[in-house]
Amino acid sequence: MDELDLLKKDWKRQESSYPTLNYEDIYKLIHKKSSSIVKWIFIICILEFMFWGFLNLIIPDSYLEIYEQFHLKKFMFITQGIHYAIVLYFIFLFYKNFKAISIIDNTNLLMKKILRTRKTVNYYVYYNIILYVVLSIVLNIIMFSQPEVLLETFLPENTTAENGKFISILLIVQVITLLLVCGLLWLYYRIIYGILLSKLKKNYKELETLEF
Amino acid sequence: MNKELEYKFISEFQKNQNVIHKVCRIYTTNQDAHNDLFQEITIQLWKAYPKFRGDSKLSTWMYRIGLNTAITLYRKSKRSVRTQDFDTVLHKIKSTDYDDTEEQQLKLMYKAIHQLSDIDKALIFLYLEDKNYKEISETIGISEVNARVKMNRIKTRLKKLLNP
Repeated sequence: MDELDLLKKDWKRQESSYPTLNYEDIYKLIHKKSSSIVKWIFIICILEFMFWGFLNLIIPDSYLEIYEQFHLKKFMFITQGIHYAIVLYFIFLFYKNFKAISIIDNTNLLMKKILRTRKTVNYYVYYNIILYVVLSIVLNIIMFSQPEVLLETFLPENTTAENGKFISILLIVQVITLLLVCGLLWLYYRIIYGILLSKLKKNYKELETLEF
Repeated sequence: MNKELEYKFISEFQKNQNVIHKVCRIYTTNQDAHNDLFQEITIQLWKAYPKFRGDSKLSTWMYRIGLNTAITLYRKSKRSVRTQDFDTVLHKIKSTDYDDTEEQQLKLMYKAIHQLSDIDKALIFLYLEDKNYKEISETIGISEVNARVKMNRIKTRLKKLLNP
């Protein structure tokens, strides 16, 4: 007998050896909590939306005063307006893509839709990082090109030779913070991807190479 | 969700639960992992049930959700390393049905299947369930030609493993 026929025969024979769950058992099962990756992706994405939204809200008022010194308040106000419009658009896209995920789709399509949903949120995060980096650079250039105003804002009483040193320290601190934040974000995404999506991506790639 | 739907689902599920056990058999190697995956698939089936229209057979619908859960939604449980290997347990009971060589071959076969990729497992599962290439291609979302090519590769691979 061919090995595969033997396997098929055994497969059919095993059918009768599986345990049979009664009504009570199944009832209990369907009331348990799912631990599917789609659920986790949804939770993480919502948290990310909240995190970045929250970051914008906690900027202290004193910061805004600094911007005022540099006549940047209007600029910041407009940037914020555009930013919130973009965030709303991202939330809409995420909701639309998430709703489209259906477990009854074929495997290939299902994986495509999950990855697309995740990608929406990734773009949202990239957008936030880029915005953060660009704004930091633009604001720093403006601020550091007017060192007198900068010193007046941060060190109103001090007018000695320490000023040069202060400016350098401020600049170094800004750069280090920027790098640190980007590094932490990168690490976070490596972990999220490692845990949640590595299996899905591997399987999706396998189907993709097959269809090419 | 309402009680009537719940009753209907559980009764239907009871009759077809073997489908889910079989998916778990292909994708897991021990009892704990089997139960874990079984639970997740059952939850997914229940969640999708309100949308089930009955235009396809319930078992076909279950195959699809079962495989999709195993391939994409399910993450391996951490407990799966602790318990005894499934293959050794299952093959202890069947000595009356097969001679030694056949039993040995089957053991090797199942071991080889468990080493396949998730996608290949789905293909071999559907083959064992006597599904035709049209159904296989529709379930996985690849063309019929590719399903055929891939299936032949898996079969050759399995045969080679047994006759090196």
